[in-house]
Parts: sequence; C-alpha cells; structure tokens
Amino acid sequence: MNTFFVLYRKELLEMLRNYKWIWVPLVFILLGAMQPVTTYFLPQILAGAGNMPEGAVIEIPTPQGSEVLAQTLQQYNTLGVLIITLSFMAVISGERNSGTAAMILVKPVSYTTFVLSKWSAMLSLTAVAFTAGYAVSLYYTNILIGDVGAGGFWKSLLIYMIWLLFVGTLTVTSSALLRSPGGAAFTALGATAVLAIATSLFPKAMAWSPGKLTGLAAQSMQTGLWDEKTWMVVLLSFVIVALMIMISVLALRSKPSLDN
Amino acid sequence: MALVQVEQLTKTFGSTRAVDGISFAIGQGRCAALLGPNGAGKTTTIRMLTGLLTPTSGKIQFQELRPGADIRSVIGYLPQIPSFYGWMSGHEFLTLAGRLHGLRGKAAVKRSDELLERVGIAGAGRRKIAGYSGGMKQRLGLAQALVQRPKLLALDEPVSALDPVGRREVLELLRELKHETTVLFSTHVLHDAEELCDDVLIVRDGKIALQGAIGDIRAQHQKPVLLLQTEADEVSKRWLAEWNLRERPYIVDKESAEDRLRLVVSDIDTARSELLEELSRSQVKVRRLEIGHTSLEDLFMKVVTG
Ligand SMILES: Nc1ncnc2c1ncn2[C@@H]1O[C@H](COP(=O)(O)OP(=O)(O)O)[C@@H](O)[C@H]1O
Ligand SMILES: [Mg+2]
Repeated sequence: MNTFFVLYRKELLEMLRNYKWIWVPLVFILLGAMQPVTTYFLPQILAGAGNMPEGAVIEIPTPQGSEVLAQTLQQYNTLGVLIITLSFMAVISGERNSGTAAMILVKPVSYTTFVLSKWSAMLSLTAVAFTAGYAVSLYYTNILIGDVGAGGFWKSLLIYMIWLLFVGTLTVTSSALLRSPGGAAFTALGATAVLAIATSLFPKAMAWSPGKLTGLAAQSMQTGLWDEKTWMVVLLSFVIVALMIMISVLALRSKPSLDN
Repeated sequence: MALVQVEQLTKTFGSTRAVDGISFAIGQGRCAALLGPNGAGKTTTIRMLTGLLTPTSGKIQFQELRPGADIRSVIGYLPQIPSFYGWMSGHEFLTLAGRLHGLRGKAAVKRSDELLERVGIAGAGRRKIAGYSGGMKQRLGLAQALVQRPKLLALDEPVSALDPVGRREVLELLRELKHETTVLFSTHVLHDAEELCDDVLIVRDGKIALQGAIGDIRAQHQKPVLLLQTEADEVSKRWLAEWNLRERPYIVDKESAEDRLRLVVSDIDTARSELLEELSRSQVKVRRLEIGHTSLEDLFMKVVTG
C-alpha cells in the first residue's frame, strides 16, 4: 500500500510539472462554459451575423436548462474524450520505451501497483477536470438559462464519470499493449467509436454496453432516472474496466522494457 | 560462502540462445566481473538476476533471503543505460527509490543526501536530471542502486559509456564500494576487471568460457613468452625468414613479422639458449630481446576469439 501511494504521488507530481493539471481541466471548463453561454447569446449572434433578410424574425425556442447540460455532455463525447486519450496515450508505453519502467520495476514494487498508481492518477485528473467543467456548465446554465434540478445533475455526473473512466482505462490498456502512443490513442478512440456505433445499431444485443453510458447520462440529466438497466450498464462497465486493468498488468509483466 | 548460486541458467529469444546453461557462484563480499565481448550474454544474465527477465530454464538462488521475500529488495541494479525521470531532480529520484524500498519520509530524504554526497554530485542534487551529463547520470544510477544497502550490487557495463576521466572517477568509486557489499559487474574491457575484481567469469556466446579467481587464472594459464626485435636490416630479415622455416618442439604459439618474432614457449631455457646461440652465430642485429609471460589479455583474447 505504501509503494502505491509513493508512485501515485509521483504521478500526480509529474502531471503538475507537465501542466496537465492545468490544461486538461481548462479544456473541460471551457467546453462546459461554452454550451450555456452560446445558447444564451445565440439569438444575438445570429442577428449580428447581418445577412438576414430585412424584417425577418428569429424565433429560437429557448431550451431547458437540463437540455443545455445534456448538450455539454455531447461536447465531452467528442472533445473531452479526445483530450483524455491524448493525455494518457503514453502513460505506460512512455515509461517502457524510455526505460524508466525497468528502473522502477527492479525495486520491490508489484506490477499491479505500478499500473494501479498510473490508473488512479488518470482517474483523479479526469474526475477533477470533468467535475470542474460540468459544474461550471451548471453554474452558467443556472444563471443564464434557468434552474436545473440537482438530482439529475449528480446522477448524470456520476454516470458520465464512469464513461470517462471507461475511456481512460481503455487508453491505459492500449498504452500497455502498444509501443506507439499515437497507436494507443488511435486504438482507444477507434474502440470508443466502434462501441458507440455498435450500441446504437444493435440496441437489443448491446443493452448493457458501456456505450450506453453517454445516452444514459444525458437521459438522467433530463429525467433524473436511474433504473435497473442503468445499474446493469454501470456494473458491466466496472467489470470491463477491471479486466482491462488486469490485461495492462499482464502486458507490462511480459514486457517491462523494450529489450525483453 | 556463496551469496548467489546460479545453475544452468538459460535464456532463449526465439532461436537465439542469449544465455546457454551457465552456472556460477558469487562469494559473499567478493567482486566478480562478468567479462565478455558484445553479444556474449552479459546483460541478459544480469537482467535475469534482477528479475526483469524470466529465465527460460535454470535456477538462481540467493542465500540470506527470507522465504517469500522479494529478491529485488536485496539487489541494487544499474542498467547499461540508466533512465530517469528528466523532470525530477536527482534528489527527488533518490528519495523515490528510497521510499519504494520502504524508507519512510525523513529517512529517505536523509539517505538521498548521503548518497548524493557519496557519489559526488551533491552540488547538482536539486537540479533537474534532464540537464545532467552522462557521467552524472551514471553516478546517480549508482546512487539509486545503493539506496537500500543491497546485498548484491549488479552493474551492467558501468564505465563503458564514459569518457576517460569519468571512467577513472567511477572506477575509483567502485573500488570503495566493493568493500561494503558484494559486487557483480559486467564489462568487455579486461583491464577494468583486473583492476577491480577478485573473480572473473569470462563469457562467450552465452556460455562460460573460463571462471575463477583472477590470481589463480593468471597463475594457471601464464606461459613464458619470448620477444625478439631486429634492426630490420637485410641480414637479419633473411635470418628470420630462414629461422621461421624450421619446426621447433618448444614453440606453443608463434607470431612473426619480417623484423620481429613473438613466441609462446613451453621450455623457456631451451628456447632462450638456442635462440641466443643462433643469433650470435648469424650476426643478427638484435634491437630487443625480452623474456616475459603471457598476460591475462592474451588469455582473454584467446578465450573469446579462439
Ligand atoms: N530482446 C532480445 N531479443 C532477441 N535477441 C536478444 C534480445 N536481447 C539480447 N538478445 C541477443 O542475445 C545475445 C546476448 O545479448 P546481451 O545479453 O545483450 O549481450 P551483452 O550484454 O554481453 O553484450 C545477443 O546475441 C543479442 O543479440
Ligand atoms: Mg550488454
């Protein structure tokens, strides 16, 4: 346990020194603020665009606050996921390629601890960035658009966090399996996209797929719903995350450095 | 008593037998050199000792290791090319290493200070490792291998990548360290092994070609050598050419050029008197005649190339 915290602290410190603690939350906060702000100013923006015919009346129904937050989640579906994969694409391969993994793993540190420290650091940064961004989105939505129920907010936050955890873990595992960071990012993004498509194409077969998480998050934002189906999806996601961590550990053990 | 006992250790990569059934023991408190040319299997052997590589077959046994204890806790390892987190300072890296070995808070910090002092980079301890020179990284690598006062210090070519000054300094450091713990270090330079070590394991193509205490090996394998150099005038050259034609029973090994001759012989007295007699009879202009012994270098070259 002690070595876990030592390595976990090292990971957090590294993300501080390379400014990940700044720019990843910043991107999430900007994306989060943008949705309610642009929604609020959309009529003015369109009017100011100037190429409207004289006398045209722009009627844009003002959306509900909960809809705006659901749209924020959609932003995170693309850009948020991209940022997470890019941030962690070298989390294991980088240390293996440079040889630092071998320097650490000749000390009495278990391979599982090594992977878990990195995974936990990934989770910490992701959770903080996403929570900050989503909270900012909630704040501006409340001010500019209208009150949003707290129950829906917390439920959607939790469900969406599990989705990001899933994507982050996928990235960690890809970086344990592949030498190239670009390849790992591509694999993680590709797998995420395939999962999303397959989930929408085969709703029956993929009823418990983690790909459902994004939809469930948006839905629980608007309805405050967390039913049995949500539980199954969450449960299955956790199982897959655990499996992916195990695969990462095995991959690292069989190849702790390039010349194995 | 042996600290480490290795039996029939083998590692194959695909069809390459990088290490091919080697057995050896490293005595407690001894300094052993794993000596061999590039590709001999030194790195692979050391990496198996440290647990980074799983042997294909064979046994590695550590005395003094409590049952169930992690072998990595008693080995300090310096890889051939040590890597560090460039964003850390040397002090931070050593503290990390200490904590991973179970030192707590202040103790790890104190040990880092001690070690930086010890390896002579205390002045750079708070600077980022990214800015360290090769020699400084090698010292830091040595320090991180020493952090838990290892029972075995395993160093993979610790001086090969250094310039002559850095090499000298690191060798001096190793000379002190070998009094404190058991050392196994690999090198392709015989001189380093001779200078530092008690025992030598000469490896070639994944096998041990020769092993033992350096003194014993020297005594057992040393043979008399006779070295002759002439003025390279016509008479002497002709004489040497003719001399070369005849077989002589005492010659073990012969190298000759037109003005010189180097003989490894079995019977130095016969060889010497016969040669002196012929030299004076033919009025050869001798520049140098020397009687000596084969060096370990000769033996090493013979073992690794022969
Ligand atoms: N990861 C590997 N894959 C394939 N062959 C390897 C690998 N590591 C070492 N070898 C081969 O094993 C032999 C011994 O290598 P090594 O132990 O590095 O030698 P040394 O350290 O004595 O120079 C060499 O022929 C090398 O090419
Ligand atoms: Mg080597």
